[in-house]
Amino acid sequence: MLDAVYAEALKLRRHRATWLMVWIYPIVVALILIGVLLYGAVAPAGEAGTTATAEQWINNTLIFWEIPKSAPGRFLIAGFAALVFAGEYGWNTWKLIIPARARWQLIAAKWVVVVGFVLISLIVTDLIGLIGELLGSLQGEAIPAGVTIGALLEAHIRAIGFALAPILYTVAFAGLFGVLTQSILATVILSIALVIIEGLLPLLAVLGHNYMPGISTPLIEVLPLYHVANVMAWAKGQGMTLALGPDAAIGFSFGASLAILSAWIAAAAAATQLRFARQDLN
Amino acid sequence: MVDSEPAETIALELRGIGKAYGRGANAKRAVDDVSLRVRCGEVYGFLGPNGAGKSTTIRMALSLIRPTAGEALIFGRHPTEKGALARVGSLVDGGTFYGFLSGRDNLRVLARTQGGDGARIDEVLERVELDRDAKRKVKGYSTGMKQRLGVAAALLDNPDLVILDEPANGLDAAGIQDMRALIRGLAAEGKAVFLSSHLLHEVEQICDRVAVVHKGKLLREATVGELLDVGDALRIEAEPGDAALAALGGRWPAQRTETGLTVQASRADTPEIVRQLAAANVDIFAIGPDGHSLEDIFLTMTRDSDA
Repeated sequence: MLDAVYAEALKLRRHRATWLMVWIYPIVVALILIGVLLYGAVAPAGEAGTTATAEQWINNTLIFWEIPKSAPGRFLIAGFAALVFAGEYGWNTWKLIIPARARWQLIAAKWVVVVGFVLISLIVTDLIGLIGELLGSLQGEAIPAGVTIGALLEAHIRAIGFALAPILYTVAFAGLFGVLTQSILATVILSIALVIIEGLLPLLAVLGHNYMPGISTPLIEVLPLYHVANVMAWAKGQGMTLALGPDAAIGFSFGASLAILSAWIAAAAAATQLRFARQDLN
Repeated sequence: MVDSEPAETIALELRGIGKAYGRGANAKRAVDDVSLRVRCGEVYGFLGPNGAGKSTTIRMALSLIRPTAGEALIFGRHPTEKGALARVGSLVDGGTFYGFLSGRDNLRVLARTQGGDGARIDEVLERVELDRDAKRKVKGYSTGMKQRLGVAAALLDNPDLVILDEPANGLDAAGIQDMRALIRGLAAEGKAVFLSSHLLHEVEQICDRVAVVHKGKLLREATVGELLDVGDALRIEAEPGDAALAALGGRWPAQRTETGLTVQASRADTPEIVRQLAAANVDIFAIGPDGHSLEDIFLTMTRDSDA
């Protein structure tokens, strides 16, 4: 299995799309950091800004973990997953690798590589950001008292954990769309549509409750759209209460939403494997 | 077929394999009840016109397509069994590769996918004479180069069964000659080679046994010699034709053809026939066995099948 993952990584690590959709984060952040540091070195010293508390300062360093929760970030993750899963159909290369390895392992390797590359990219970006904060403190922006390595580490590990949910969800469905449509473009379009529908959920929930109250509420409770948004909301400390009307709202606990979302991710992954296992590759 | 044949010598076996697209009355049978055995040390030609079902059959053997009837066995094991395809090297669709990677990196990806370390990459690249172009991206390769890289990929894991789908496609005359030598060399090493082709001349030259397929059905399976053997007959080019007929007619039944005479006689009769014709003042320009080309036989078989 490790060999399959290595082969997949070997294939994609220097692909143009990987640079554009995955490695772009650390590159852009590093360039911005260099620019800011150079500016800080030559610009005249300004007035000291408002001093942040330790908690605020740590929270500010978690900004890059908002990427997989944001719509543009998820578009890029979906785009990369589309390339990885549907690319083999467009390149006509399944014929090369399927005789060499069990089908389920080829798909599993793709999940590992997509999630792994995105996490590596974000972790490196995060580290560059932290280095930037550290270097900034040498130029005068002091780190508030109370910021410890332990507190920093705990906050960042927690942020990685919360970022995993949208990453896994996006990759699981992009992978499924990729295997079903066998097209990069169609996969990207469907994945983007999913994120857009998720963004329109508050509006759709109100409309649904107004016109089809008997159906819309159970649908919202069962489908993953609300739960992925709720899990991401809980990452910020408070769950998402979805107003359906003046007298009705939906609100799930973090645990319940995570369980439902996990079930959907597992179902999408299983559906991908089942479809691929039975797929004819002409 | 001999059922008591040791399983280890049978590299590939197809048992009534078939593939139908669609269901019920509208089902289209791309491959219908094809059975054959490919043994180690032989080159087995799978011959048929375009659309005969050759590629579909190969894809079923490689587990790329699921058969709707029958089964394929690789060294006695189903292709979907763990490790069953580990002894198989294949070239399908003229070599499908990642265009954005170099030839060498494509082989590295394949070697890793196979679970190997790629130790044979240099050897196989050299064998197909691509070692100097190995660092170039595949998207810049010619059709022939991709075909040769495909052969390199097929040989990468030192397989015991090599499956080649139209291996001569895109190759120039020298490339075809090299490919022919390579394929015969693989058989000489004891490997089984199963190749599909619509190039009758190629199959005639390199295959030990041949299966002819048409419209998804296996029409005949035989050695090339058996297919070409049409009984005892000699073809004679001689002038004047009437005098030649008169000289032979009494002893050997003969008939005129567009290019000369066809005489019902064995090879051993040749000296006596020459003497008779010379005695009758007939000029002899050529004499030899009246063998049909594989092309003639193939066209006859497929025509009969259509009828």
